[in-house]
Amino acid sequence: MQQFVRNLIAAATFALVAGCASTGDTTGEQQTTTPQDTATEQGITAQPGQDAYSYPYGQAPLQQDAYDTTGGSQTGGGPSGGGGYPGQAVAGGGNTVSADRIVYFAFDSSEILPESQSVVTKNARVLTGNTRIITQLEGHTDERGSREYNIALGERRANAVRQAMIALGVPPQQIRVVSYGEERPAAAGHDEQSYALNRRVEIVY
Amino acid sequence: MRLAAIKLFGLIAVLLAGRCVLAQPLTIDITKGIEGSGIPITIASFGGGAPEDIASIVASDLQRTGKIAPQPAGSRADYSVTGQAQPGGARGYLVQFQLAGAQGAPLLNLSFDVAPNQLRPVAHKISDLIYEKLTGEKGLAGTRIAYIASSGGSWYLVVADADGQNPRVILRSGQPLMSPAWSPDGGKLAYVSFEGRHPQIVVQDVYSGARRVVSAAPGINGAPSWSPNGQRLAFTLSKDGNPEIYALDLATQSPVRLTNGSAIDTEPVWLPDGSIVFTSDRGGSPQLYRIGPGGGAAQRLTFEGDYNARPTVSPDGRYIAMVHRRGGRFHIAVLDLQTRQFRVLTSGGLDESPSFAPNGKMIIYSNGQRLTAVSLDGSIKQDFTLRGNGRDPVWAPYGR
Repeated sequence: MQQFVRNLIAAATFALVAGCASTGDTTGEQQTTTPQDTATEQGITAQPGQDAYSYPYGQAPLQQDAYDTTGGSQTGGGPSGGGGYPGQAVAGGGNTVSADRIVYFAFDSSEILPESQSVVTKNARVLTGNTRIITQLEGHTDERGSREYNIALGERRANAVRQAMIALGVPPQQIRVVSYGEERPAAAGHDEQSYALNRRVEIVY
Repeated sequence: MRLAAIKLFGLIAVLLAGRCVLAQPLTIDITKGIEGSGIPITIASFGGGAPEDIASIVASDLQRTGKIAPQPAGSRADYSVTGQAQPGGARGYLVQFQLAGAQGAPLLNLSFDVAPNQLRPVAHKISDLIYEKLTGEKGLAGTRIAYIASSGGSWYLVVADADGQNPRVILRSGQPLMSPAWSPDGGKLAYVSFEGRHPQIVVQDVYSGARRVVSAAPGINGAPSWSPNGQRLAFTLSKDGNPEIYALDLATQSPVRLTNGSAIDTEPVWLPDGSIVFTSDRGGSPQLYRIGPGGGAAQRLTFEGDYNARPTVSPDGRYIAMVHRRGGRFHIAVLDLQTRQFRVLTSGGLDESPSFAPNGKMIIYSNGQRLTAVSLDGSIKQDFTLRGNGRDPVWAPYGR
């Protein structure tokens, strides 16, 4: 409980910082507006290095094509199962993890597939050999089922890799775990082949 | 009979011409309607005195309900709408309309004095007044939805009118966004943001854009849900090793842990009496359970199939809609808490993220890419045709 309170204090502190940083310098946190009266608002100045930008209702400086996902500029569109989908969710962020850092799983399972065991072993060896490396284990699922439940399943997979690494001698403090659920697919298709590629844990360091 | 699909896109294109378009609008097709039971109505032009075609907006709104069937001009119908919109009044435009029944008996006769940017909202208001008069149910034309869109490494939290118009991005992020949830007053959205590459729960004021991180514990911070009075948030944290349900008092920031076990407990939602329904795999497969306001023993609610998750509660607390798997396909299903009747509403595939309309009559959901609304009895279906993708839809409550 005390730990939780401490976390909350940290969260609250972060909230203050994040709130100021992410609303930019023209939002004005104290500004109050009514839905009919947003026209007096000024636009937001995007700040480099920021992940997220929030906008008052109706004030996003967004061009018409900014979230038009029908365009051909994106990569990894893949087969869309007969072209029924106007746009494909594509993993973004630019972090490409090499194959020797990806652990795969069967459907509905958090057991490491036998062919992925060597990936865990090899990376555990790197971590035990250099205790200054902190790794983040990022758990993922395929797109089927509830999104938040998939967050929980992705964490279960990441924890399975964590336990395996600890069993191989990696100190727990070298390992962090995060689950993206189905939000960052590695393959964009809606078929079993893509699903198999998406049920994974990426070992990031 | 398959109700004729109405294409709103042409209308939208006309209405948006010459304006600053912030984002692509949705279009909505009625793909399924009640056979032969749409109430026939004629809607005459409101004249050319205003920059919005109010008669067209009203016709589209009523058509979309699936229960009222606007007829071509000159047809015979049980009901008729006539009206006028012209410059005048204190705010810029005077809009008046009449709804008449058989033999011209007057049912509604109202006028509005509105600003130019309120012509669309007043058209929706007229639609809702007519709908309520003819069906006895509260209308949805004046409501809003929120959803998540993504493209090429950016995620967007979007708020749009219930007819798909005025899509407004209120948050753009380079990391995933998910699980938006409206506060009961419709003024705030809680959601999960992965900015900084770890999940946190954020509450954002829709109108000012101001944000507050309410939880950033180690591990999962997920599935936020507002209590009926808007003073507490329930959500999922895994900081103690596995996902558990917590309730946080937003004023005092004091959290209470409500579940305790080695299973996954997640996706809490509140019933009007303060008890909480959530997803748990404590029985081996994900199913819905219910606990009291302070936690305690859980009562299992679902027994059909091997996967029931992501509950959402109707405004009156009687129905729980959920994601239901059978035959390897994911459907939207609904459980009647009074009769215990369990009904599958959609033909299925990748259906997920159901959310009740504030009148309790429709449920919006996503297949991961597109949005659809289905009526509680399954008889009416509306496809929202997005120009991009959309998921995690949530229907805003009535309110401001």
